[in-house]
Amino acid sequence: MRRLELGHINITDIQFGSESKIENGVLYVDEEAVKAIVLEDERIKDCKLDIAKPGESVRITPVKDVIEPRVKVEGRGGIFPGVISKVDTVGEGKTYALKGMAVVTAGKIVGFQEGIIDMTGPGADYTPFSKLNNLVVVCEPVEGIKQHDYEPAVRFAGFRVAVYLGELARELTPDKVEVFETYGIMEGAEKLPGLPRVAYVQMLQSQGLLHDTYVYGVDAKKTLSTIMTPTEIMDGAIVSGNCVSACDKNPTYVHLNNGVVHDLFEEHGKTINFVCQIITNENVYLADKQRSSDWTAKLCRLLDLDGIVLSQEGFGNPDTDLIMNCKKIEAEGVKTVIITDEYAGRDGKSQSLADADVAADAVITGGNANQVIVLPKLDKVIGTLDYVNTIAGGNEHSLREDGTIEVEIQAITGATNETGFGYLSAR
Amino acid sequence: MVKGVEAAGIPVVHMCTVTPISMTVGANRIVPTIAIPHPLGNPALEPEEEYKLRRGLVEKALVALQTEVEDQTIFE
Repeated sequence: MRRLELGHINITDIQFGSESKIENGVLYVDEEAVKAIVLEDERIKDCKLDIAKPGESVRITPVKDVIEPRVKVEGRGGIFPGVISKVDTVGEGKTYALKGMAVVTAGKIVGFQEGIIDMTGPGADYTPFSKLNNLVVVCEPVEGIKQHDYEPAVRFAGFRVAVYLGELARELTPDKVEVFETYGIMEGAEKLPGLPRVAYVQMLQSQGLLHDTYVYGVDAKKTLSTIMTPTEIMDGAIVSGNCVSACDKNPTYVHLNNGVVHDLFEEHGKTINFVCQIITNENVYLADKQRSSDWTAKLCRLLDLDGIVLSQEGFGNPDTDLIMNCKKIEAEGVKTVIITDEYAGRDGKSQSLADADVAADAVITGGNANQVIVLPKLDKVIGTLDYVNTIAGGNEHSLREDGTIEVEIQAITGATNETGFGYLSAR
Repeated sequence: MVKGVEAAGIPVVHMCTVTPISMTVGANRIVPTIAIPHPLGNPALEPEEEYKLRRGLVEKALVALQTEVEDQTIFE
């Protein structure tokens, strides 16, 4: 048996202070210390820190990543293995997470990059990150740097800051402890006889060109579909390297707190045997799509699964990976539910997915990303509005003279998330 | 667009990377291409090699265009 205790350290407020520490639920941040950590990377020229709290008239854009600070207190490895910590298998022992807050990295990377987080108003309803106290790190690159060199600089800067803040909780007593237990294949079958064997198949964004995900530091586009213990993600085994179409990419925060994993654990030992997590990629070559979906189906058969939950990341050609996975896994006799989102046009009347099949007969949607919303002018912008018109989901008229913004909800970070992270629901 | 043009009586070859989508949307003549970000080229190749690749794809499409088909056909 493998066991992970996840301790919640509740953070109710963030303030700048002369020393970084957590006291009575307040995170005090030494601005200079955090800046020094960001500027360790010579590709970053300067950075500004800001704090955005729920309900404030604040807009954060363009958002690169959202990260929950954590610290490994007991057990093998450290947070973000293969990225910040050395490569070692994680997911066992004891981990503390700073709950109610996040590190948000922002600033220009590419012209059409994600995303918007509004801390109040109608936009705030579409992003769960509006409910967090956010420490925003706005980075500025050195001149002449290429986008593909700068993206990892900002990505790593966010992780370094999150690990630094997580470390502040090492000696604290958690406000709440969750326990997650997983079994070996034989052990689980013996302990939970008669319960349906269920796995989570997670598709990771790996189209390249700043649509990327990393597993233990490995670029997911260079991986074959494989098996993980579902607690590994809680120590940061999977991280985001995405920059585009914010609504349905998984920020690192979502990987750490994947709702599908948490919900399957909730039923583990009661109504199902949650056997494992299977990860697969979404590459841009047809042969890769065929190979990766062949492998997920093969693994599902090998594990004698009864059913799986399959989540997509992104949209467009990954719809084909989704349908290939669904068809092939169903063909192995394994019941499959898919979680996706829709690009059904502004009126919602167009075909929702680029690909379809009768095997996809159990579908959960994260919502229609083309739905249009008008965001009011807010008092303060952290980052810049320079890219609102070129953001995915925006157009040349998005930013109006009165300061309001008309965009599709695909511009809002996490709005149609395909792990069920958002707030959208059907009437 | 493929279906719209064919409905007007003009045969179409759909050159695309994700042929399953092309099959789903109902293209009749399909030529598989290289990758989604660069369907008709390959930046990993030397320019001369890439030119051969590109010319080969276009020639294959022209052959497909002149081939009678009964069902949806992928020209590998």
